[in-house]
This record gives sequence, structure tokens and C-alpha cells, in this order.
Amino acid sequence: MIPYQFIWLIFLLPFFSFLIIAFFIRPFVKQESRIAGYTLIAALSISLALSVWTLASVMTAPNHELPVPVINWVVIEGGVTLHLGLLVDALTAVMLVVVTFVSLMIQIYSQGYMRGDPGYHRYYAWMSLFTMSMLGLIVAGNLVFMFVFWELVGLCSYLLIGFWFHKPSAANAAKKAFIVTRVGDFGFLVGILILYMNTGTFDIAELHELAITGVLAGSVLTWGAIGIFAGAVGKSAQFPLHTWLPDAMEGPTPVSALIHSATMVSAGVFLVARMFPLFENSPAALTTVAVIGGVTAIFAASMGLVANDIKRVLAYSTISQLGYMMLGLGTGGVAIGIFHLFNHAFFKALLFLGAGSVNHATGTFDMRLMGGLRRMMPWTYATFVIASLSIAGIWPLSGFWSKDEIVISALAQPVLFVLAMITVFMTAFYMFRAVFMTFGGEYRGGGPEAHDSHPHESPNVMVVPMVALAVLAVFSGLWNVTGHFGALLGHGETHGFFAGLFHPFTQVLPWLSLILAGLGILLAYAIYDKKWVSAERLGRLFRPLYSLFLHKYWLDELYENVIVKTVLLRGLFGSFERFDSRGVDGVVNGVASSAIYGGRALRRMQTGQLQLYGLFMGIGILAIIFAIFFFG
Amino acid sequence: MIANYGYIGLFLIAVVLFTLLMVTIPIALRLLGLVPDKPNPIKNAVFECGMETIGKTWVQFNFHYYFYALVFLILDVLVIFLYPWAVSLRVLGVSGFIAVLVLITIVLVGYLYAWKKKVLEWK
Amino acid sequence: MNLTLFIPELTLTVFAILVILLDLFVRQKRVLAQVSISGLVIAGVITIAMWGNSFPAIFNNMLAVDNFALFFKLIFLAVAFLVILASVDYTSRFARFQGEYYALVLLSTLGMMLMAGAADLITLYISLELTSISLYALVGFLKDGKSTEASLKYLLLGAISSAVLLYGMALIFGFTGKTQLGEIAMVIQTMPAQTLLASPALILGMVLLIAGFGFKIAAVPFQMWVPDVYEGAPTPITAYLSVASKAAGFAIILRVFFSAFGQPEWLSLNWGMIFAVLAAIGMTLGNIMAIPQTNIKRLLGYSSIAQAGYLLIGLAAMGFSAGADTAGRSGILFFLASYVFTNMGVFIAIIAISTKLNSDQIEDYAGMGKRTPLVALALTLGLISLIGMPPAAGFMAKFYIFSAAVQHNLLWLVIIAVINSVISAYYYLRVVKVMWLGKPASEEKISQSGTLKLALVLASLGILLLGILPGYVMRLAEFAANMRLY
Repeated sequence: MIPYQFIWLIFLLPFFSFLIIAFFIRPFVKQESRIAGYTLIAALSISLALSVWTLASVMTAPNHELPVPVINWVVIEGGVTLHLGLLVDALTAVMLVVVTFVSLMIQIYSQGYMRGDPGYHRYYAWMSLFTMSMLGLIVAGNLVFMFVFWELVGLCSYLLIGFWFHKPSAANAAKKAFIVTRVGDFGFLVGILILYMNTGTFDIAELHELAITGVLAGSVLTWGAIGIFAGAVGKSAQFPLHTWLPDAMEGPTPVSALIHSATMVSAGVFLVARMFPLFENSPAALTTVAVIGGVTAIFAASMGLVANDIKRVLAYSTISQLGYMMLGLGTGGVAIGIFHLFNHAFFKALLFLGAGSVNHATGTFDMRLMGGLRRMMPWTYATFVIASLSIAGIWPLSGFWSKDEIVISALAQPVLFVLAMITVFMTAFYMFRAVFMTFGGEYRGGGPEAHDSHPHESPNVMVVPMVALAVLAVFSGLWNVTGHFGALLGHGETHGFFAGLFHPFTQVLPWLSLILAGLGILLAYAIYDKKWVSAERLGRLFRPLYSLFLHKYWLDELYENVIVKTVLLRGLFGSFERFDSRGVDGVVNGVASSAIYGGRALRRMQTGQLQLYGLFMGIGILAIIFAIFFFG
Repeated sequence: MIANYGYIGLFLIAVVLFTLLMVTIPIALRLLGLVPDKPNPIKNAVFECGMETIGKTWVQFNFHYYFYALVFLILDVLVIFLYPWAVSLRVLGVSGFIAVLVLITIVLVGYLYAWKKKVLEWK
Repeated sequence: MNLTLFIPELTLTVFAILVILLDLFVRQKRVLAQVSISGLVIAGVITIAMWGNSFPAIFNNMLAVDNFALFFKLIFLAVAFLVILASVDYTSRFARFQGEYYALVLLSTLGMMLMAGAADLITLYISLELTSISLYALVGFLKDGKSTEASLKYLLLGAISSAVLLYGMALIFGFTGKTQLGEIAMVIQTMPAQTLLASPALILGMVLLIAGFGFKIAAVPFQMWVPDVYEGAPTPITAYLSVASKAAGFAIILRVFFSAFGQPEWLSLNWGMIFAVLAAIGMTLGNIMAIPQTNIKRLLGYSSIAQAGYLLIGLAAMGFSAGADTAGRSGILFFLASYVFTNMGVFIAIIAISTKLNSDQIEDYAGMGKRTPLVALALTLGLISLIGMPPAAGFMAKFYIFSAAVQHNLLWLVIIAVINSVISAYYYLRVVKVMWLGKPASEEKISQSGTLKLALVLASLGILLLGILPGYVMRLAEFAANMRLY
């Protein structure tokens, strides 16, 4: 049994690493030194070891839950009590292992990728804080504590996406990510407040108890759960708040890898899983989760079909897979959704690291400028294909197992089931489209900043983490072949390994999804490798659809032009003719400028004239008196 | 609650009516020819008490006057306190004596301050 | 004996007189700062020694000496202490009248301490005037155009608000025939509900009191003086105004409305609603108007209007709870304690930078992260606390007050407040961004004197302490919030 102090250490260690890097290494150690990276890697290695220990303890513990003594952090007399408590159950332990492992791999990889960047120390400082916040979010035992880390995750992602803040596109993407997720956060906060107002507690375990025993029920529970889900929608980039994620590519690629796999976006899925007893007892909320998930899955996959930037393809695939997870949570339960999160973390991190590796060699992310990298970068190619097969759901790779479970559980909702099946096909197609465009055919010259005309394999410090992740992308799914993963998270029966391994072939559904995936891969092969069918002609044939996907359903335009520019600025702040259109080049600037404009209008009241000030006081008093006598 | 203001409203109406009446009486008498109309400059002058001012009204005083005024004011206040105190000193006893001693000390500090800051010198 | 409970105030009086006297005979003016500080420390130690006891009110129930008053006295003493530490360098700007500066700071602190204890409308008014008149003079101490203008405006508007306040007191006195708060409460509570409802004088008096006090705490619509005065006043005095003067205003409001108008329930619901609406307007107006500001002192002026709005939420919660629980009151106390450190930290950092730059423009703060990293770090911490982000004190303070409000079904108000916090992040973070990412006008380092650094470190430590380990101060606030009724 692991002593509880060590569980605290799991997320305190990256925090110490942050302090050391920010306050000692960054000011005092020379730029060339790579000690900052080693500090974080050391901290995360220990955290990983402790996480594994935690997982082992949880597996043997009664009810799969470890008691951790709480510290009374804030006690307000006759009011709120905030425990500085941890909630350590199977869900926590699994997430801890995933986050620490993936983050560790990414940090090792970054030692190669970020070498020589002027912001090297800063990068590791933020990375430490980012990992720490995510770990804190996972272990948090009450909603306030959790919200604090939730916001910290958002802040760190802002800092990391805008890491190269001198690039305007990066700065804008960072702001977009921050603002869009805040819309969801607002819902989350309202959800927390609704629950608190009606139960008087922030404690997650107590809320579970209240929901299960039925004390917390009815519309309160539904609205509370939907509020919480709104937070998850923002963070996990679900429809309709998904627009920030594809733009979040502007940060360094390892950051994207971390955001897309283990941290940030998975925080939303984790949140729903964490509060699952609340959803479970509110059919409306649960259906909302399933529907949003299913819609997001197919919606994002369709946009992935036509993207040309390799990272964007991966971004859409992330959104789509997150949709799967939500669908799994909404129709199946915690074990199914989290199992997909677990597998997805490994292969998605691997895909991003692969994309980073390709970029390292060719200097571009545009797949139209790549090609033929199969021979030049054999390791990257091999691992990328493994990950792609896994995400496409090919037996016996990890993606197959979790996706299979989700599809089966979606059978309960026929419409969502059909959407999920179409998505299976689409996923296989766009992933292999990326594989063939990047690695197949002849090399097409790379980007303008390519190092030379012959790309090379990346250094070992980058390849080794990729191989490690590839191993997991193959095998991580086997954990639930025996049903043990599901049992750990609360449901499902266990059976023998080989029985489980070949069980899918006795069923219809797995065959169906395998065939669909295979068809997707074949189609990609036909179009992009053998070029039996011309991609341009297909594009012309389905022109309306093609341009709909390419323009991302015009949602960005809808948000920026219609909602922000028109509704907010013109509707709320009037007198738009004097509004300086240069001030609006995005959601953020739009909102900010409108507030500034409002401020300017109000400032005219502050003339500096004493008489006027006195007059306002008088009017104020009169207004209060009138209000009292007429409404009081 | 608003009904309570009814009396005030009545009162207001009475005031307005009374004022109007007072203004209209001389005008009415004049129009009826009951009052003679023989204006002269003294009659037409704006009525002020005292006599007409000589020179400008915006005369600047030396700022030192204010210093004297302030210092004198403090003395005044002190005296106001001292008279009743002196009368009932017998009743107040030692504590009353000490209290006034403190008051005088504080005022004395003020005087000392004014003196050192050259308020009492006429420049 | 009455006087033993009055020792902190007496000490301060003696030291204020001592400073005036010493000023006449001592050439080295630094001594005056030392004397003032030692006076504050002595008064503070005595106040702490008195903590925890249950003393009767003194001077015929005119002055309360309960823990509530002691808590506020400590706040005022701490602020005055930091202000004087921060002023030591700043006073070299004044060619003359350095002694008067320190004496006036001490005297206004004395006035505030009396305000915290005032349990009678007359004491209350006198102490308020003692504070205000000292402050009018202090605001004009720079003797340049802006400072003089600020002083005159503050004086005239202050006089108006005093008049309004007096009118309110007169109505209350006329209605109840008492000036002592406890006796007023007695009269109101024993009066039949019919009589109460039928007489507008009480409500009218209450509204006028709110207007008069609202001026001190910079509540909208009585806030018009704030930006002009904050900009013109010497920066340490701006800090003093924004923290101590506001805290004193809240001390008085809390005591008057809790002890005199706490019962019956419909009355407290009434003023609770007034405060709730004022809070909503204040936060929104303050935050929106802060956005276009380019002068940091003006910016903080508007920010302090917004902060007053957050504090008013606590008063609203107190009104809605009808005195049933302490969360609203102790929330305000805790918020004020954290606000003391936060705003003092911010202002001391501004003094540190602005005196060297001779400018209050935000764009001139560019590159301060490189030129004077420690001060920039402290300023960043202060601004983060003002936004209300963890781990700074401001987060805990807002959390406390908001949770109190949520308990009394003021969810709508809390939602407005949360939206406002988000808006406020925009302009606070703009300053942070300019400091750390802006291009410095010159590479020259800026150095600070020891006293300023000490003040800055104390304030920053306070922010972190209250943010990370708020438990202890919360206990104190809860303890102090149990006001005695006289």
C-alpha cells in the first residue's frame, strides 16, 4: 500500500520542478545548458514510478479506493468547508499513469525538438506547470480545488500555444483557445454553484453519494450535470466549442502532442467520468453527453477528410476521438470512455510526435509538400503506421478494443450507432490519406525552411520515446481483453486472455467495423498511393460537400463575423459606424474592443467638472429613494 | 405611505397661491389706477441695506488675516470650554482638572507650532 | 476605567503631537518617520494585547471596544505602517511640510480607529470628519496643479457627502429620538410594524446614510471623485485612501447597519437589496471604465470602485441573512484584510517604479520585468490577487464573499461578479503584459531603497500567506465579526 504522502508528491514534484526552473535555472543558468529539461524529466520519472505504485495499490485495495486524510484548508463558520483532500480511486490511478507516462515521453522528445530555442527554459517551466495542473486536476477531491487546477490547465495551454508569441498567428490561436474554453468554464462554474446551492458541499465523493442515494435529483441534478458538461465541452473541444483546437497547432509540436493526448482535452472527458454518478442518475444529461459526443465524432472526422496540414488532420481526429469517448461515456459508462482515453493517449501522442519528427526533417506541416519519407525516415514511418492502424481500429491493436466497446454500447441509440459506424470508415480513410501523402510516393521538396533536400531520421532522443509509445499503442488495449480494466472501473466481467482475444471474431459488429475500416484504408490507398482515382476529380464531384468540409462548416466565420462582430458589437454597443474595423480581427479582439468602446463612451461622463459630480450624487440618491418607494 | 405626503402637497399649493396673490395685488392696484405712478432714480434703485459700495468688491486680503482669524478661533473655542469648566471645577475634581490641562496643552502645541512657523509675524 | 481601553488611540494622539513638536526642532526629517512608525507599532502591540477580550463600550456607550473594532484598528495601523514606510523616499519631493505629512497620516489613522469603534452617531460623525479633514490636506500635498485640484474636489464633494450624512442622521434621530446605535435599534424593534411601514423618515434616513458612507467607500453613484483624486494625490496617499479610508467606511456601515438596522427582517432585506444593486452597478461600471485608462493610478481608481462593488456583495449577503449568520460580515473582514496587502503591494510597487520614472503612464512600464524584476514580480502578484486568481489572497477573499452570497440566494449577483472578474482580468493583465513583454525604453536598472523593499516584501508575503494559508486570518475575521450589540 502506498503511503498517502507519496500521492501528494506525484503532483507536487512537477510543481517543485516548475519552481526550480522558474526561479533558479532560468535566471541563473546559461541558455545552452539543458538542465531544465533534465530537472523535469527526473521529477516526472519519479512521479511515474509513484503513479504505477498507486495503481498497483488501488488494484488491491478494497473498493479500489485509497483513503487519504484530508486537510481542512478553508473553514468558513456556518458556511463552506474546503478540504484539501485527494480522491484516489481506480479512475484517478489510471489517469495518473497515463498523464505521467505520456508527459515523460514528450519531455524526453522535447530535449531534441526544443534544442537551441531561445525560450528553452521558459518552455520547460510552463511544461512543468502544465503537467502539475493536470495531475492536480486528476487527484482533486473537491470541485473548487478541481476548478482551480482546471483554470491553471487553461492558463498553461494559453501560455504554451502562444509560446512563440512574436508570431501573430500563435498569439491569436492562444487567445482563441483561452476565450473559447472560458465559455465552457463559465458553464462549469455555474454548474458547481447550482450543485453547491442545493447540497451545500463541494466534495466530489459526497456529491456522488447524494446522487446515488437520490437525494440530489430532478432538474437540479440535470442542470448541475449539464453545467459541468459545458465545461467539458469547452476543454475537450466538443461541438460547438471545438473551434479552438485546430488553431492550437501554433505552439511547439510536443505541446500539441501533450494537449491532444493526455492533458487539456482529456480533462473534459475525465471530468465527466469523475462526476459520472451525477450523469448516470440524470437521463437527460447522459443523453446530452452521448448526442454531443456522437455528433462531434462524425462532424470532426468529416473536416479531417480534406485538411492538408498534417497537424490539422490529427487535430480533427482528436476532436473526433474525443467525441467517441463522450459517446462511450454517454451510452456505456466510465470504463468504456476512459478505456478509449487510455489507449488514445498513447497513439495520439505518438502521431503528434511523428508529425513533429516529419516537420523536423522537412520544415513543413503541409502534406502536399512531403511524400516519399518511407525510406528516409523508417522509424518515424513504422511508428506512424502503427499508430494509424491503431486509431483506425484494426485488430489486435489498442484502438480496436476500445472503439469496439464504444460501438457496441452505442447500439442502444440507433442513430448514434450509425454515426459511429460512418466515423469508423472516415477515420480509417483520413488517417491513411495522411500516411500515404506523407510517406508514400516521391519526395516533393519540403517547406521553404527545409534543412536540405534529403530529409533525415530524427535523433535518437526523439526516436526512443516514439518507439516506447508505439509499443504501448500496440499492447495497451490488451489490458481489457480479459475485462480487468472494466472491472477495475466498476463494471464488466472478467474472462481468460485468449478467449477475450479472439472473442470479437465470433460477433457480427466487430466484423462490420473491421470491414469498414479496411475499406477506408483501401480507398485511401487507391486514391493517394496508387492514384487510381484522382483526388481532384472526386473533389469536383462532391464540390458542395468538399467546400463545406474545407471551410469547417463556416463555423469560425459564424462565430467571428455574425456573433461577435454583429450581435455583440452592433447589437450591444450601438453606434457601430465609428467603430474601427481594424480593431476586430478575431473573437478576442472583437470582444475586447467592444468593451473598450463601451468604456470610452462612459469615460465621457467623467468630465472633471465638480458640479456634474455633485449632480450625479444627487441623482443617485434620488434614484435610490425612488427605487425604494416604488419597488420596496 | 405616499398618502402622508398629501399634507405637504396641500401646503405647497397654498404657498404657490399665496405668492402669486402677493405679486398680483400691486400690479392690479396699479392697473386700476388706485396707486400714483411717479418714478424717480432713488425709487428705481435696487434696494440694498446700507449704502452704495465704493470701489471694486473683489478686494484681495492679505492671507495673514486668515492665520490670525484661525488662531483667534482656537482661542475662542478654548474659552467656551474653560468657562463652564471653571464654574463646575469643584464638582469635577482632579480628573476634570487634568482633562482640561491636556486640552490646554494640545492647544498650546498648536500655538507653539504657529509661532515657530512664523504665523504671528507680520510681513 | 475607561481610559485604559482608550490607550491605543491616546498613544497615537501623543505621537502625532510629538511629531509636530519634533518637526519644529529637528533638522533631520527621517527621524519623524521613525517616530511615527514607532508610535504605530506601540499602538499596534497594545491593540493586539487587547484582542480576544470582551470589553464594555466606553464613554457612555459612545465608543465600542469589541473585537470587531480591534480588528479594524489593526488594519488601519498596518496600512499606516506600510504607507509611512513607502513614503520615506517619496516625501523628499515635498520641499516643506514633511513633519505635517506624518502627523496628518497619524491623525487620520486616529480618526479611522475611532470610526471603527463609534457606536453613536455623534462620535461617528466627529471621527469621520477628523479622518476626512486630514485626508483633504494630504491629497493636496504635492502642491502642483493636479494635486491641488484633487484636494479641492475631494474637499467640496466630501463636504456635500458630509451634509447628506448629517441630514440622514438628523432624520434617524428625529425618528427614534436616540443617537446611540443600540438604543436606536431598541426603538425600531419595539415599534409596531404598522408605524414603521407608514413612516418614510426611517427609510429616507437610511438611504441618506448609505449615500454619505457610499462616498467614503467609493460606491457607485457616489464614486465620481475617485479617479481624479487618485490621480492627483501623492501616490502613498492614494494607496492610503484606497485601502484605509475604504476599510473605515465599511467598518462604519457594518456596525451601523448591523446593530441599528439589523432587525426587523423586512428592513434588513430592504437595505440588503440596495447594497446588492449598488454592488452590481459598481462592479460593472468600475471594470468597464478601467479598460480604456492609460494612467495606472486612474486605472487603480476604477479598479477600487470595482473592488468596492465586490465588498458590497458581502453587505448584501449580510442584509439578506438578517444578521442570522456571520459569513457575510466575516467575508467582508477577510476581503478587507487581503485587500490591504494586495492594494498596498500594488501601490508600493507603483511608488517604486513611478518615482524613478516620473511617470504614471502604463506604457512607460514597458520592460520593467527586466529593469527591476523583483518589483515587477511583486506588482504582478498584486494584480493577480486583484483579479482573484489563486494562489493570491484575492482568490480566497472573493471565494469567501461569493460563497456567503450564494448561501443567501444571491446567485444572480455572484454570476455578475464572476463575469466582472473575467472582464477585470483583461486590464490587469495588460499591465502585466506590458511589464514583462514590452520593450524597455532604456536598459538602465532601477534600484530601490531598503525601506521600500521592506514594505514590498511585507505586502507580498501577506498576499501569499492569506492566499495559501487563509485559515488563521479567517478565524480572526469570524471572531471579530461577532460584533457586540450595545
